[in-house]
Parts: sequence; structure tokens; C-alpha cells
Amino acid sequence: MMGAGVTSETARISARRVGKWFGEVIAVNNCSLSVGTGVVGLLGANGAGKSTLFKMLAGLIEPSHGEVRVFGRRLRDEVGWYRRTGFCPESDSLPDWMTGREFLSLSLRLMGLSRTEITKRVGYWLERFELEGAADRRLGGYSKGMRQKLKLAQALAHDPDVIFLDEPLNGMDPVSRKQSIDLVRELGEAGRTVLVSSHILPEVETMTSQIILIDRGKVLAEGSVTDIRDKIPEHPTTVALVSPDPRGLAGFLIGRDHVVSVQLEGRGRVVVRTDHAVLFYRALPDWILANNLAVEEILTLDDSLEAVFQYLTES
Amino acid sequence: MSDTTHSPLPAGDTSNVIEAPLPSAGAILWIGWYSIREMARRRRLISLAAINLLPVAVVLAIRIWFPGEGITAHQQLASLTHDTFIPFLIPIVAMAVGVSAIGEQVEEGTIVYLWTRPIRRRAIYLGRLLAAQLVSSALLSGSLVLCFMIMVSGGADIITWGFLKLYVVTFLIIGLGAFTYASLFAALGTWFRKPVLPAILFAFGWENLVSNIPARVQELSLRFHLQNLVDRPPAAPDDLPGLLGALLNMAVKRDPVPRLQSVLVLLIVGLVAAAVGIWMLRHKEIEK
Repeated sequence: MMGAGVTSETARISARRVGKWFGEVIAVNNCSLSVGTGVVGLLGANGAGKSTLFKMLAGLIEPSHGEVRVFGRRLRDEVGWYRRTGFCPESDSLPDWMTGREFLSLSLRLMGLSRTEITKRVGYWLERFELEGAADRRLGGYSKGMRQKLKLAQALAHDPDVIFLDEPLNGMDPVSRKQSIDLVRELGEAGRTVLVSSHILPEVETMTSQIILIDRGKVLAEGSVTDIRDKIPEHPTTVALVSPDPRGLAGFLIGRDHVVSVQLEGRGRVVVRTDHAVLFYRALPDWILANNLAVEEILTLDDSLEAVFQYLTES
Repeated sequence: MSDTTHSPLPAGDTSNVIEAPLPSAGAILWIGWYSIREMARRRRLISLAAINLLPVAVVLAIRIWFPGEGITAHQQLASLTHDTFIPFLIPIVAMAVGVSAIGEQVEEGTIVYLWTRPIRRRAIYLGRLLAAQLVSSALLSGSLVLCFMIMVSGGADIITWGFLKLYVVTFLIIGLGAFTYASLFAALGTWFRKPVLPAILFAFGWENLVSNIPARVQELSLRFHLQNLVDRPPAAPDDLPGLLGALLNMAVKRDPVPRLQSVLVLLIVGLVAAAVGIWMLRHKEIEK
């Protein structure tokens, strides 16, 4: 269950035991998830099944088994609900003969917006993505980054409540990346549901702390990075303790329960590798107090998504 | 996000909220309009336009080199309609435009931008099909108009009532042929991932084969019903090839069926193909 207080009744996006196979290839295997409001990152390496899961959620393909719902509906059957959803596909395909302005206008027209509203919104989104200069050029001449921005614009321009963004930052320059990340966060704060996929972990980390990890078609874990860490106590964690007496501290820690290795680094840092993060953190204050150890700072070095992801996918 | 935003729908129970799709008629027209513009920009349209110059070249050759051979404009037009437009040009143009109407968008992945809009699948299909039918008809009609202009450049006296009637009938045949063939080919394009071979096999395999089998089997071809709508051009068997041609015609000639029956068959085939195509699109998986 992703998002604040999400239950199966309040989930905007839900998938129950969903699977999809193409011939003998299993693309998604028995995935279940519920997403409420806010931004949720779908993380996985290329070929992990992210896009297939997205396509099932967005009603582009039918699950081989299980069921998907958006607003409690099957989008494939109740197409009117596409008015409240936005989809930015991973594929780079765009109607290359159209201009950027025409493409956005048609997208909005098919959402049922009035002419005035279309003009207003097209202008706003072209400006927001700094595409005004290229608005009347054919899409065939757009760079990868510009195409990506336009794909994003068409997914957002009708102001949907649920937004699927499949690798939206691919091919964008750093400035556009930053703008898009800010935009995604802004949408999440405004109460939208944004499911965003990426295989680049730091990118997702900048957009949200709520993640779903997927690998080889299976959901490995979901929740916040910290939640996921708590669920895997055996996950080796690297902790740095800053002390005025690093040698003394290191000597004490060697051989303690759940301490795998101890290493001295510069500036008073003792780097400890533990095989059980939760128990180590529980024991540490007691050790410090009981033995009068001098510890000025505790830093968790690998509490990043990258580390969690690597651990989960490797195991 | 500016003043264009609305308050989001609460994440709770939305069972009492109704989101109706857009009215299909409007969606069909918009999709049709943009699809016509897209199809008109394809490179293959140039090749198709060149192929459509074939009857124009024939009429022009007759006009320049055989002006006094006694081949009337009426004969020329009947022959072109019966032997060039119906068996060759209409199927080839409808095939080139029709198979790609839906299939190409699915293969390219651009259909996603229609699929994820609140429009019914039938509106997507019919908008694209309508565009394919209109583009096919326009290409074929352009060729017919050029032929007409070359024919009447010899003098207004060739414009007889019979000629004009045949000219109008040929337009109708083109429209009906484009409607039926494009429907059929669009359905093939929706069904098959690589639809060109099945389309060629139908247009120039099945249609040829069945049209040249004596007896009622001929009625199983669309070509038969289109040719049934126009009078067979009079044969001129004053030489050996002409005689052989006339004999062959007599051998395989099928007595015409009522024209209304042919029109109904063509309309029904076109409508059934469109219905099947819509059904296939609804169940299509957009994998790209």
C-alpha cells in the first residue's frame, strides 16, 4: 500500500496478483500493489517488467491473470476515465509529421476541452517546457529531450489525477531533468497520484521516497526506503561512527555481535559493516553508555536506494 | 501549475462518479481529419499517385497517337473502369492506404496517444478508416478527373448522356470500391502484424482466381460485384488477339446479377469488415 493511509478502498491505482506473459516469456509475475496519492517510484533494471506493468495499469494491454484498477475501474472498458489519467509512454514514437502545437492541441481536443481552454493550456505547457520556439516545427525534427518533454506535456496538460510516467527523464538535459523532477514533486504535493518508473535510482530518490522495487517481473519490495530497509534486517549496512578516539572505538567493536568488519578512515571515522542493521542500532546506545565510548556522530553510509536495490536484486 | 488546474478527485470511493467518453461522432471527425493529413504526407502516396497516372497515360496516348482510330471516349472510359480501375487501381490504392490505417499506428506505437484518451475504440477505428477511404477515393478520383479532362480536350461533342452517366457511375464505383476494399484491408491490418502479404494474396490472388472461374463462384469476389455495376466494354474482335479475348470473355462470363444486389453485397462486406476490425481493435494489445 503506497501513499498516506492507502487502503484497497482508497487506492487510486491497484493491481491484484497481476501477471503477464508473452509466449514463454514471463514479463510480470504475480504483482500486487495499491497506490494512493503522491509520487511513487517504480524501480527496476531494464527488462524488469516496469513498462509491461505500466501498460497493464494504463489499459494498453490485458493482464494474463489478475486484475488492475484505476479509480476502481478497468480503463480498457471504461474509457471515459482516461479523462482523469495521463500516460507518458517510454517509447519514443510520436506522429513526426505534426508540429508540437498541433500534437498538444489534438491531445487536448480528444480530452473534450474547449477551444479557448486548449489554446490556454497549450501555451502554458509549451512555455513551461521551454518549447515555444519549436512549437510550430515538425516533431520529426525534435531532439530526444524535446520529444520527451512533449510526451510529458501531453500526459499532464489535461490536468489528470492519476499520472503514469514511464522513464520520463530519458534523454533530457540536466536543466530539463531538474524542472521535470520539480514538476513531479509539485504534482504529488498537489494531491495527484504519480507513478513514475526509472532504472536510474538517484533520479527516483530525488522525486520520492516511496518506491516499488521490481525485478524479473516480480515486486521485490514496496514502501519508503527506510521501511524497506527495516523489512530486510539481514541486509548488510555500513555505518560510520565519528569519534575523537577512533582506534579505541574500533578495538571495542571488533568481535561484537552483528559486526562483520571494522575499518578506520580519516577524520576520526570508524566504518562498521553490520549483518543486522536493526539489532546493531538497538545495541549501539547500550554499548556507548556502558563502556563510556566517545561517539560524536553516527552516519548510515548506504541507506540509499542504490544500496537497497542492489541488495534486493542480487539476493 | 497555473490556473489551469482543478482540485483532484478524492482518492476515496469514486463509484458514484461518472466519466462518459467523448461523443463518438466528434471524435471520429477529429481523428479522421488529422489522419487524412497524416496519410496525405506519406511518401508512399507519391508512388500511389504515380500508379494512378497509368490510365491518364493511356488516355493521353490514345489522344495523341490514335485520335482517328474510332475509339470513342465512352469506350475508353468503360474499358478503363472495367479493366483498370476495378481490377487493379482500386484494390492497390485501398490496400496501400487501408492496411496501414490502424496496423501501422499500433506497430509504431503512436496509437497510444489516441488510446489513452476518453474516446471509444470504435471512434478511433472509424476515424482512421474514414480517412483511409477518403484518401483512397480522392487519389482514384483525381486520376479519373485527369482522364476526363484529356478526353474532352478533343471537343465537347464527345460529351454524350451515356458518357456522362458512365463517368458519374465510375465515381460511385470508386467510392464504393474504396469503401469496401479499405474496410477489408484495414481489418487485415488490425489483425495481422505483417498484413501486406495476406492483403496481396487477397487482392491479386483470391480476387483474380475467383473472378476467372466460370459460374457463380465469381460472386465470391468483390471485383465481380464492382464490375457488375458497369456495362462491359464492347469487344472489338477484328484481329486475332481481339477474337481470343472475346472467346475468353465468353467462356468465363458470368451472367450479371441485379445491380442492387451487388451494391448491397459490397456495402455489407465493408460494414462487416469494419465491425470485425473494431472488435479486433478493442481486444488489441498495445505493446509498443
